[in-house]
Amino acid sequence: MRFSIYLTLPLFLAGCSGRHNWLASAGAEADRVEGLFWVLLIGAAVIWCLVIGAAVYAHRRQVDPSLETQARRFIIWGGAVFPSVLVGTLLVWGLVILRDITADEGDLTVRVDGERWWWRVIYETSEGDVVTANEIRLPVDRTALFRLTADDVIHSFWVPALGGKMDMIPGRETRLTLTPVKTGNWGGLCAEYCGGAHALMRFDAIVMEQADFEAWLAHEAEPAQVAAGDPGYTVFAEEGCGACHTIRGTEAAGPVGPDLTHLAAREKLGAGIYEMTPGNMARWITETHEMKPDIDMPPYPDLSGARLDRLVAFLMSLD
Amino acid sequence: MRHGSDEQPRHVTPPGDAPRVVDQGSVWILVAVPSIWAAHFLLSYWVAAIWCAKAAPMASLVEPRWIIVGLGVIGAAAIAWLGRIAVRRYGGVFVIFEEITESSERGRDRFIGHVTLLLCVLSVVAIIFTVIPGLVFATC
Repeated sequence: MRFSIYLTLPLFLAGCSGRHNWLASAGAEADRVEGLFWVLLIGAAVIWCLVIGAAVYAHRRQVDPSLETQARRFIIWGGAVFPSVLVGTLLVWGLVILRDITADEGDLTVRVDGERWWWRVIYETSEGDVVTANEIRLPVDRTALFRLTADDVIHSFWVPALGGKMDMIPGRETRLTLTPVKTGNWGGLCAEYCGGAHALMRFDAIVMEQADFEAWLAHEAEPAQVAAGDPGYTVFAEEGCGACHTIRGTEAAGPVGPDLTHLAAREKLGAGIYEMTPGNMARWITETHEMKPDIDMPPYPDLSGARLDRLVAFLMSLD
Repeated sequence: MRHGSDEQPRHVTPPGDAPRVVDQGSVWILVAVPSIWAAHFLLSYWVAAIWCAKAAPMASLVEPRWIIVGLGVIGAAAIAWLGRIAVRRYGGVFVIFEEITESSERGRDRFIGHVTLLLCVLSVVAIIFTVIPGLVFATC
């Protein structure tokens, strides 16, 4: 029985690797939190050993009334003064980290709006806002300032590998800085229960070299290249998709759902949960609520055959 | 340490021999100390909330920071004053090496004085912990 319990232990270590690993040292802010974590863990282990050791020693030792004064002093210093000073020190340390990772300065500014259940992402540039969704790309070794808010319920913005998490509160703006130090595709998620599809509210945080990031951002700022009379866009327009979605460069300017201008350039579909493939796209349109329950987008089960193929081909061309 | 009066047999100390502390209102000092802590906590939140609501977003907290520190100093001073009363009027000591078992006005006063001093230390530490975040953070 005991052996079988030991066998399950490696399963718990599965959380210590991968793209959501907050011990990956992929971000400067995550490194600071990790430093505090190890000090707390090791310190707590040492104190636990000392307390248990003292308890065992006291239990085995014979009572000596002459030592009572010393014992009471030990209790006051070790049981009251030391813990108070230690907790106070840790409080200051933790607060300084929190203050630093919520600073309001960065090399670039990204506004993120938490919606049910996806992410509206807006890069602030000198040429104006660049709107995208459900994928955040960042340059390595640069500090990004995130200005966070929410549409109607509280969410929490968290890329564990890069740094701390921050609540997104309707009607308020909260701030968070992330300084990635490793390139890669890291996982982001909502860390505050926000309703039915909360667990499916994810995003990719892709850290790139500076030049690659600038090229990506410049491309993202461009409108979509949609040919006049594109048969797929015709389906898109006839089905009324433009009432909710924006495709810059076309008449579609709906503000409700994610901006689709460069949809196919994203690696994931449905806010970080499905691979961006034609098959998933077709299913997303026709079986929307099977793929992601409770979302506002209605399914289009009657869309099939050539019309669906044309719409999927059009959406997959938006890169 | 324990309050011995509850456990004393009645024939040792006749009932009514010592005045009851509650009837005389002597226990107010026990309530007053943590009440100052609670009031400081509440006022600190009010100051920060009003400042952040009225000031522009991300306004500097420099001014309320010193208000919160000032409130902390006032609270600590009030607690110190109560601690002084606990020592002088109640004969309280911070560290006791014997049980207070005497069922008398004097014994009860000493017990109240001792507990008050412990509450003073706890409340001052709590007030310091409330002030620290106000000192560290510069924004709402």
